[in-house]
Amino acid sequence: MNLKWRIAIILGLVAASVWALFPRTVVERVKRNGEFVYDTVRRVPLKRGLDLQGGMYLALDVDESKGAVPDKSKAIDNALKVVRNRIDEFGVSEPVVQKAGNDRIIVELPGIDDPRRAQDVVQKSAFLEMQITDKTQALEKSLPRLDAVLKDTKVAAATPSPTAAKDTSSAGLQSLFSADTAKKADSTKKDSTAASGTVGGPGAFSKLVQQGQMPGEYYVAQTDVGLVTQYLSMPQVMAVLPPGKVIRWRSDTTTMGNRVYRAFYVLDAKPIITGEYLTDAKPNTSPTEGNIVEFTMNNEGARRFRAETGRHIKDFMAIVLDQRVMGQPPVIQSAIGAHGQITMGGKDLQAAQDLALVLRAGSLPVPLKVADVRQIGASLGQDSIHKGITAGIIAVALVVLIMLGYYRFSGALAVAALGLYILYTLAVLAGFSAVLTLPGLAGFVLSIGIAVDANVLIFERIREELAHGKTVRTAIDEGFRHAMSAIVDSNVSTALTAAVLYQYGSGPVRGFAVTLLAGIAASMVTAIFVVRTFYMIWLNRSRDAQTSLSI
Amino acid sequence: MLRILHDTNYDFIRWWKVMAGITIAFILLGLGSLAIKAPNYSIEFTGGTLMELEFAKPPDVAQVRSTLDQAGIRGAEIQQFGTNTEFTVRVQNAAAVASQSKGAENIAVTIENVLKKKFGDGAVTVKRTEAVSARVGDEFKRGAIIAILLSFLITLVYLSIRFEWRFAAAAVIATSHDVFTTIAFLKLMHLEISLTVVAGLLTVLGYSLNDTIIIFDRVRENLRKGRKESLYETLNRSINETLPRSVLTHVTTFASTLALLLFAGEVIRPFAWVMAFGIVTGTFSSIYVAAPVLLWIERKWPRKTGARQASSTATPTSRTQRSPATATR
Repeated sequence: MNLKWRIAIILGLVAASVWALFPRTVVERVKRNGEFVYDTVRRVPLKRGLDLQGGMYLALDVDESKGAVPDKSKAIDNALKVVRNRIDEFGVSEPVVQKAGNDRIIVELPGIDDPRRAQDVVQKSAFLEMQITDKTQALEKSLPRLDAVLKDTKVAAATPSPTAAKDTSSAGLQSLFSADTAKKADSTKKDSTAASGTVGGPGAFSKLVQQGQMPGEYYVAQTDVGLVTQYLSMPQVMAVLPPGKVIRWRSDTTTMGNRVYRAFYVLDAKPIITGEYLTDAKPNTSPTEGNIVEFTMNNEGARRFRAETGRHIKDFMAIVLDQRVMGQPPVIQSAIGAHGQITMGGKDLQAAQDLALVLRAGSLPVPLKVADVRQIGASLGQDSIHKGITAGIIAVALVVLIMLGYYRFSGALAVAALGLYILYTLAVLAGFSAVLTLPGLAGFVLSIGIAVDANVLIFERIREELAHGKTVRTAIDEGFRHAMSAIVDSNVSTALTAAVLYQYGSGPVRGFAVTLLAGIAASMVTAIFVVRTFYMIWLNRSRDAQTSLSI
Repeated sequence: MLRILHDTNYDFIRWWKVMAGITIAFILLGLGSLAIKAPNYSIEFTGGTLMELEFAKPPDVAQVRSTLDQAGIRGAEIQQFGTNTEFTVRVQNAAAVASQSKGAENIAVTIENVLKKKFGDGAVTVKRTEAVSARVGDEFKRGAIIAILLSFLITLVYLSIRFEWRFAAAAVIATSHDVFTTIAFLKLMHLEISLTVVAGLLTVLGYSLNDTIIIFDRVRENLRKGRKESLYETLNRSINETLPRSVLTHVTTFASTLALLLFAGEVIRPFAWVMAFGIVTGTFSSIYVAAPVLLWIERKWPRKTGARQASSTATPTSRTQRSPATATR
């Protein structure tokens, strides 16, 4: 190839690389939620992975702990839309929301500073139901049977050995309080012994429960909530609970005197309306009720709501979000139309904002659980970049010293090629908008040492040819020619390994494979093409080039 | 001209029995140690929770531990990570992982809450959290194993095409040797097996393979020259001829690895250790595993007296095969 063409190609590649890496303000058309929006950013177009810029990675699976989900793939598709809506509203720059495999959603949120909140927004089911509290005293009627069932089962379990029974029952109870075992060790012991004395006795259930002011409302001392929850989940107990009713705990606690209580409500199982008709929700602060979320329903929802509430005048309506009753159920004074509100029960305005957001974006069709979460603070990411760059500079310095010391003039050519190698590799990463991760950065630093291998192979070959008494020009030609097969074979086999790594690696490791691949490509170009061209320039210019080569 | 190990004529392969003894002893030591105690898998493979915490002032580790114990988080491993205000908390036991199947993050949330309660809101910062459920851990494990096996297979095929099956088999056996020595090294160094370390392992495999290929390339070339010498001599000659290259490349690669080891921070350090060891084992296996194995294969399935199926098909192609560079001229 003509020397001028070679130089032109190298300069062209340099220009393209500089252009690819130049910081720019880009107006990007990004597809979000099915529609295109414009976005402007100014940056060096090298994408940093979450581990370098800080942020959060979430992998969400379908939660089947409360019942199997028949068509998971479809459920995930629907959930994906909802999650995407919510993330878009949440306001994260360049979020990633995608389906992975058949039954997983991947969410990447770069640069967020409150991971817990973001996760709540993603994960909250946001299933809203309005249910009328029971006014038939169904629970009272069931109480004798409930107590009887508990008495039977507990006694049956306790009979084999009285001492052992006491032990197991107190152990079981302690596990209920495990969340604050240590702090309340004394009180737990007291409670458990007291409870173990009465477990299986008369009124096992009814003595834990007090009737509230409105129909269907019951209070349980906060310390007994765990026990009652356990009772309510026992199959024998569920069998004797009033049919057509459901029991829902309230989201907040109530303090009466100096004791803390949590209420539960017996509700008509069939909701009068659900959140599917909701068109809008916004947070607000009411002077009497604190923070609230006001919602609006569409025409059909409003019509139904009006009809249903009209039928239930003077009844109490519980607003149930994800199976928790939000605030004190209000009495229905007159038929309600399109508007309603949810009281937040003393939670802050941000909680109201987030609730409004998830209500607007719609409820999740299936519950999701977190399968994998990685959260990296922004400062840690910054720190990693600094360390990576330091290591990179030191690696370059060491390699440059070794090459110059050992190969002198030829080493200098290799060093110049190494500079181009770094430029080209970064440009390839930018050009393919590959994501640079911490392992990727490490791989890049490592590749600086490995990149000169091709040069070393060629130089050693040239030395051999010179030793055989060939002229400088021939030795260079032969050196490149003979080293070629080794360079190609070794690089291709490394590239194949990197490709496998890319295919089977996840996130950060994938970033590593990408840098490795970009590095291999760039090192072959620089070692074979660029250094060869340097030699050609030198052979053309230097008078003594034909007789001696500093290598 | 500065030269090292130029025009040497060491009889490397003569020592193969000694070297085999050393490397087998090393591998057995590692595997024996594995049999006694399982390796440390990172939470990516086992499932679990890892948190990197920064305290405003150096905390009392015993106090951190007792706070976690009281919160019902037992068996947490608390380690200093860098400076004396930075710590990692790792919860990896079976009970904890089982509770994470409900939601991987719950233990991390508890840890953050109880520590902030104990030490004050501003006194503890969570710098990094990783929480992995057992299911995801199994997927990662499967992925890692597939990746290693697949890279072997692909290498075998590629080298069979470019060289011939004997070279390919010898190279893959040498590379498998590196997997074992590296695992032994990881175990003996008490390094944790994480995704990054697996990536390091695959890099080592690539690097070692690279080194073997350089020598085999020379063997291929020397065989073509048709000297009157045994394969034993050809192998020795090829190793000697490529020695300056090997030394120099290992030195520059080691320079990069050293920079990573010393300056790139705690997260990358295990990777750098694997790479540092990989340079040693890769070099070793190219000379003392690949070459003797190739000799052994040649004895078992000789190429000259081409009676066997493999050699009868492979020999003619390998004779006529030329490197692409030669072909272009």
